[in-house]
Amino acid sequence: MPSPSLPWTAGGWQAERRRAFGLGLAPALAVLLLITLLPAAALLVGSLTPLSLTDPAGSFRFDDPLVNYRHLLEDERFLGSIATQLKLSAASVVLQLGVGLGLALLLDGRSRLLASARTAFLIPMVLPPIVVALIWKIIYTPDVSPMHRALEHLGLPVHSLIANPGTALWAIAVADTWQWFPFTLLMVLAALQTMPAEPLEAARLDGASRWQLFRFIVLAHIRPVLVVCGLFRLIDSFKAFPLIYVLTDGGPGNATEVTNYYGFIQAFNFSYWGYGSAIAMVILAGVFLLSWGVGRLGWNTHEHDTDR
Amino acid sequence: MTASRPNRRHLLAAGAALGASALLPRQAPAQGGAKKFQGVTLNVSTFSAAYPKLLQQWLPEFEAATGAKVNYDAPSFPVYNQRADLELSTRGSAFDVVNVTFIYSSRWIGSGWLTPLDDYIRNPNLTAADFDIDDFLPGARAPETGRDGKLYGVPWTAEALLTASSRFDLVQQAGLQFPDTTDDLVKVLRAVNRKERVAGFVADNHYGWTFVPYLHAFGGDVFRKAPDDLFPTLDTPEAVAAADYYANLLKEFGPDGAITYQPDQVTQALKLGRVNFSDAGQLHLAQLGDPATSKTVKTVKFGPVPKGPAGRFPGTAVHGLGIPAGSKNKEAAWAFIQWALSKQTTRRAVAAGYGSPARRSDVDSKEFRAKQVINGSDLAQLALDSIEQASKTGHMKYRTVSVYPQVDQQLNKAIALIASGQANAKQAMQQAQAQSIAELKRAGLSL
Amino acid sequence: MSTTLTADTPLLHAPPAPAAPLVHAPALPAARRPRTAWLRRHGRSLAAALVLAAVLFPFLWLVQLAFRPAEAVFDDALLFRPTLDGFASLLQGNFLRSFWNSLVVSTLSTVMSLLIGVPAAYALTRWRFRGRRHVALWILVTRMAPPIAFTIPFFLAWRWLGLQDTLLGLALVYLTFNLAIVIWLMQTFFEAVPPALEEAAYIDGCGVWQAFRRIALPLAAPGLAATAVLCFVFSWNDFFYALILTRTQAVTAPVAIVNFLQYEGWEWTKIAAAGTLVALPVVVFTVLVRRYLVRGLTAGGVKD
Repeated sequence: MPSPSLPWTAGGWQAERRRAFGLGLAPALAVLLLITLLPAAALLVGSLTPLSLTDPAGSFRFDDPLVNYRHLLEDERFLGSIATQLKLSAASVVLQLGVGLGLALLLDGRSRLLASARTAFLIPMVLPPIVVALIWKIIYTPDVSPMHRALEHLGLPVHSLIANPGTALWAIAVADTWQWFPFTLLMVLAALQTMPAEPLEAARLDGASRWQLFRFIVLAHIRPVLVVCGLFRLIDSFKAFPLIYVLTDGGPGNATEVTNYYGFIQAFNFSYWGYGSAIAMVILAGVFLLSWGVGRLGWNTHEHDTDR
Repeated sequence: MTASRPNRRHLLAAGAALGASALLPRQAPAQGGAKKFQGVTLNVSTFSAAYPKLLQQWLPEFEAATGAKVNYDAPSFPVYNQRADLELSTRGSAFDVVNVTFIYSSRWIGSGWLTPLDDYIRNPNLTAADFDIDDFLPGARAPETGRDGKLYGVPWTAEALLTASSRFDLVQQAGLQFPDTTDDLVKVLRAVNRKERVAGFVADNHYGWTFVPYLHAFGGDVFRKAPDDLFPTLDTPEAVAAADYYANLLKEFGPDGAITYQPDQVTQALKLGRVNFSDAGQLHLAQLGDPATSKTVKTVKFGPVPKGPAGRFPGTAVHGLGIPAGSKNKEAAWAFIQWALSKQTTRRAVAAGYGSPARRSDVDSKEFRAKQVINGSDLAQLALDSIEQASKTGHMKYRTVSVYPQVDQQLNKAIALIASGQANAKQAMQQAQAQSIAELKRAGLSL
Repeated sequence: MSTTLTADTPLLHAPPAPAAPLVHAPALPAARRPRTAWLRRHGRSLAAALVLAAVLFPFLWLVQLAFRPAEAVFDDALLFRPTLDGFASLLQGNFLRSFWNSLVVSTLSTVMSLLIGVPAAYALTRWRFRGRRHVALWILVTRMAPPIAFTIPFFLAWRWLGLQDTLLGLALVYLTFNLAIVIWLMQTFFEAVPPALEEAAYIDGCGVWQAFRRIALPLAAPGLAATAVLCFVFSWNDFFYALILTRTQAVTAPVAIVNFLQYEGWEWTKIAAAGTLVALPVVVFTVLVRRYLVRGLTAGGVKD
């Protein structure tokens, strides 16, 4: 392929081809620019004003650009929401990785059932998030819940999990894990099946225990996959909305009010658009940093393969 | 409840609505009996409650009479408010008729998001002579009136917060009377809680409505002096005491998951006899008298909200139907409101057991009074006494404040925090106070 | 063809059974071998079946609730007479219309994303220019960004442009994530097409886009189909954008369900029926594109 640093010559098939590619790429870049960078810029601008729709003309002013960010630093509810978000993200990611990894190790191996089960495992991941929220609302509402009733029959009555501040966040984490552990499961399964057998055989002949086998060989092989899974799920966990909207509405109290949800309440309940924009900017900044990390890691794990 | 052979009609309607809804021009009102609003699609949205549910059943009559097609949307209370507020704030045209919710009425009216209705009412071409706007209780029209004196909503409910006991027989078995003071209430609850697996007390988790009578009863208030001095007073010792008392009712006597109970859930629990005491308006309580669905119709008793150290301050609520400023079918919308709140319709609702009419003629009517005597308790009289008392003492002024919804949400969170044990009363109310001040400032108030 | 498409994606798609099965059995005394061997042979299948049941049970519970008669919702009985009342009650009101809206918006968004994204993906694959990594990062961020960051400016812009509560407006907003998915996924599919075929076409005098149409596109057609389905699924599943940007005309099915969240008993069957219906297209499509699903879900993060 011609190197891209060649100047565009007026004629020649190379220039023509480059022009053709540019033509194919241009609409997409233009659209992406329009629908991502432009709104992001508008968001930034909005976050510098105390815009509120009860008085749009009067509140669209820039006399104190950092007013929203200053308020954010003092806003205990916002700071609390960040703590809640971190707690929820950590719990979800750890649970998903743990369950996914554990089950992958358990299920690894040839099995006809397993091969056809793989499709079934996909279902929680692709269900509309609102349907997942409904499923778990049914499970967590004591009156209609099979789980509650089963526990009651077994003599272990459990109080409503989503009404109790100690368990509400865990309840959401469990629902989220049910939805997404197949992601880790499938990725790890795929990785396990490409693991070369020789190091394992050799180590076994040397008398290594199963735990040592796992820790030093298997884990080393699948660690990049685990890291990528973890980062992906971490970033997606910042977007958690339908579960909280349907199950707890941020409650009880503020126990499950994550930053995304708090932003929603500020922007779309009381039309504090300036403030809501500032909250969204903070989330966006966090996501950007993490995405950059994912991108770097994704490339790092494969760079040596493709550069050959 | 089930519709027979709906498929084709609905598909056709869906297709037609998709294409035609925003594009069809309004028909000029025809002379004589031709369908006045043929081809117009009206989008009506209100929250799900007794009266809107009755209207939904009778919609086909309106559609047949006027030729309009009505899209009727009735989500739950918090979902409705958030959606309506968002739509109104942009002066959009997605809704033609909206419910003017009691806590949002001054926010929406004050921001100019609703259409003044006086011209429609006065226009004899648009309003039938027997609509009689003055028949609506003055106390119900007041919250729907703006500072400019114009009416922005026609009330469909005027209710007061009352206390109900769905299993009063248990109270009598314990040898006690209907509680009159806040101390009585605790005593009675302690005696009947969990008897026959009936939880003692629950309230719907809109605490900015159900808790405030107790706040007032203990001598506290929401603002220092609404509507002039809007500095919140949520962390005064009286307010903290009231919050502590109330949250304790929920914690000690509430059913499992008490703080997640929505209004219709509370009504359901009372009807099934799973919870004994609750505070609610007649909008909900009247349903306890329906023998078809209420299992406790023989054991229910009503009374006013408890009296506290500072007195008795029952809460009142008025909802109305209004027209958004951005609606494109205002005449058709007014025709709907007229039909929905005409004397015939409201009387029909009352005959069907509706418990909180806003027309004096309905309130005074024999049918209404007869239906509202449930198991010996006169629900209507209690409500009327409470409403009259409220208009005398003026303790509902806090709700005429346009920034009340923000404080309302803080109260919801504060009581939930205390009742779930995440904070004690003082911490929670101080947090509510600080957050309210921040929100009011953000709304542009200078405190 | 399938081997070429999967050969360079070892992490994302399980190839057919590996040559040497991984056996974890340590040495055992001969006497115990038969029983543990049986367990080892069938233990995995058993475990897989149990896990499968645990994974599917909540979903299946929802589906069976949709067929329950309203009075039996609070019952403990596992057996009941199935009725279609829950589904019939959906016919009143706005739900059918919202279902239709979902279909239209998802299709529209998929078509738009493919039209714009596929040529771009092809150009990015064949034309190695310097900014490629930056573009990739940008695409990743757009996919990862929380909806609220876009909803606020879009809400105001759409209000001003009159696209509020319209199907076109919603489909345009979905481009924010769909375009990224299309570009990313189609890149991987185009990379699997050997450039030699196109080089041959160039020698014959074909232009770039002619070669694309005649050679690359047909070869990547399965991938195209899979990408289309993924776009459809992601558009169908969206909740937040539809919640904020639609009201009555363009309301989609996931948002319409929220209207049913009242408490009375019979609403639970309605909720379950609505949930089942909304999940149905997605589940069907999943079965169709299961091979590419994981790749689609990791778009942007794993370079291959």
